[in-house]
Amino acid sequence: MMINRRSLLTTALTFGAMKAFPGLSFAQARPLVFATFTGSWEEAHKAVLVPAFRKANADAAIVLDPMLSVDQIAKVNAAKANPPIDVMLHDPGPALVAIGQDLVEPYPVEKSAYYKDLITEAQEPMGPAPFFQVVGLTYNPDTVKTPPTSWADLWKPEFKGRVGITNLNSTLGTGWLVEIAKMRGGSEANVDPGFKALEELKPNLAAVAANPGALATLFQQGQIDISPGNFNAIQILKARGVPVEFVAPKEGAIAFKTTIHIVKNSPNRDLAFKLIEAALTPEVQTTLMKSPYLIVPTNSKVTMGGEIARILAKDTAELTQKFVFQDWKKINEQRAAWIERFNREIKL
Amino acid sequence: MGAAPAARDVTSYGTGLAAPLALFFLAFFVAPLLQLFWLSLHNDTAGLHWGIGQYLQFLTDPFSLSVLGSTLLLGAAVTAVCLLLGFPIAWLYQRVGPRLQTVIILIVLLPLLTSVVVRTFAWIVILGRQGIINATLQSLGMIDTPLRLLYTQFGVVIALAQVQMPLMVLPLITALGRIDSNLEDASCSLGAGSWRTLWRIVLPLSLPGIIAGCTLTYAAAITAFITQSLIGGGQMLFMPMYLYQQASALQNWPFAAAISIIFLLAVLAVVSVFTALGRLSRGYGGA
Repeated sequence: MMINRRSLLTTALTFGAMKAFPGLSFAQARPLVFATFTGSWEEAHKAVLVPAFRKANADAAIVLDPMLSVDQIAKVNAAKANPPIDVMLHDPGPALVAIGQDLVEPYPVEKSAYYKDLITEAQEPMGPAPFFQVVGLTYNPDTVKTPPTSWADLWKPEFKGRVGITNLNSTLGTGWLVEIAKMRGGSEANVDPGFKALEELKPNLAAVAANPGALATLFQQGQIDISPGNFNAIQILKARGVPVEFVAPKEGAIAFKTTIHIVKNSPNRDLAFKLIEAALTPEVQTTLMKSPYLIVPTNSKVTMGGEIARILAKDTAELTQKFVFQDWKKINEQRAAWIERFNREIKL
Repeated sequence: MGAAPAARDVTSYGTGLAAPLALFFLAFFVAPLLQLFWLSLHNDTAGLHWGIGQYLQFLTDPFSLSVLGSTLLLGAAVTAVCLLLGFPIAWLYQRVGPRLQTVIILIVLLPLLTSVVVRTFAWIVILGRQGIINATLQSLGMIDTPLRLLYTQFGVVIALAQVQMPLMVLPLITALGRIDSNLEDASCSLGAGSWRTLWRIVLPLSLPGIIAGCTLTYAAAITAFITQSLIGGGQMLFMPMYLYQQASALQNWPFAAAISIIFLLAVLAVVSVFTALGRLSRGYGGA
């Protein structure tokens, strides 16, 4: 772009005008901004949710601004009165943070046509859960001949130097630690047994990845052969020819609710509500459930099919029964201390 | 310094032209920095209570200090590797024909033309269990089980050294190019061997380039969040990741702000050591 005197002057005038008449800036004309997650989420939402929303709402303008939950919170927090985002997407931990910091509005449940059809776990009055993320065991079928069946299999001596995990910065890492603690008699309030178990896992650890995305790529490199993993991330790798398989451990796969929220003080409140409604419809959820997205639906009217029915659950009743839901309110209370402890204790 | 009266006019022109940039820096660098500092002077995450609690927490915590220490050491290791490998390349550049010079400059610049993420992923492929190094060593029968290279300090240093190498080589090429080649000839004709010439003539005269290169490499290496976290993994904690963790995963902004201020000061301290060395080099230049 060339910068000449005219464009400089225009910019200066615009800034000046925005300063002089703050109402001018964004308040009315801004398109709906939906902060989805990066990667497969963005692809899925761009391809399915956004077209469905635009079709139902006379081609309303919408912008996807993909970023991590924590970054969404930081951005909204920095400009609470005039938030740059209208709709946020959150993992369970950050969702509670956002609610706690008063960044989201209650969902207008009484206006919603689909809220009541959601399974009970997904009915969150501060922002419903249109999707689940499922964490189970991931392994490389070329090198691991007997599929693992339990979290405890990670400790088997045959996996010496072949196990990968992530640190606690991610929902996956934290949720998995809690599950390990539970397996050894702990709970959301007491992860001590989990840390002891981690200590015993050290000889088996080949990698502690900085985030789940980095963990998944390690299968590609043969750096690790088994790890806790996200169902969707694994399906994407599998579709690209990486030898990985997902199994739900017998203790139950961990389900994280991915909740969607209207940002407080959003100038596009109505459109935000309509976008969330679109995400709750059986049509959108059915399409997202199919290949290549394979996102676990939460609307009980959706008939389970494909890989999800084969690997996870054949209907929503089985799903709620087989999945493990964690108490993130309790987890959040101590998460900072756990991250600190992980920093100090887990050195390879 | 002796030409101060003549230089005054020049500088007054300079400040006038630098005003837009200075304003830009004031608005988008100094102001946020002050805001950061202001935030770091709060004892609670909501930013309501004033105090230096965050600094005390960092400076009295052996773990936090060890993170700072290992980050500064990492920078030193990367800088040393870059200097040792980069100096011969820059030296060679001055001694080959123009065609080879183009090749060298292309090879040096090539890493700058690809994204850091891509370069770092390439290192994951090279250092992995079934990566190029392990596969080669195994096929030669030199090792039985793959070596652990990825997610080690060694891996991080090597990857960072490659990623930051241009920042070292380019100033070195410039500095070596400015040395009058007659000086080396004179040194040789007066009976000094080639090592002695290198040690007493070339090295001291290229010191400004070495210092510029070291400063750039050092600053880039210790702040290289992507390479550090992808090659080092989630259990090897350096300052950028520590900062990110506190600011993003834990939303503890005042502590994160205090970490950044401490990190900034530590880096400034190291840079000022380099600058002091630079003054020393000016002494050499005048001699």
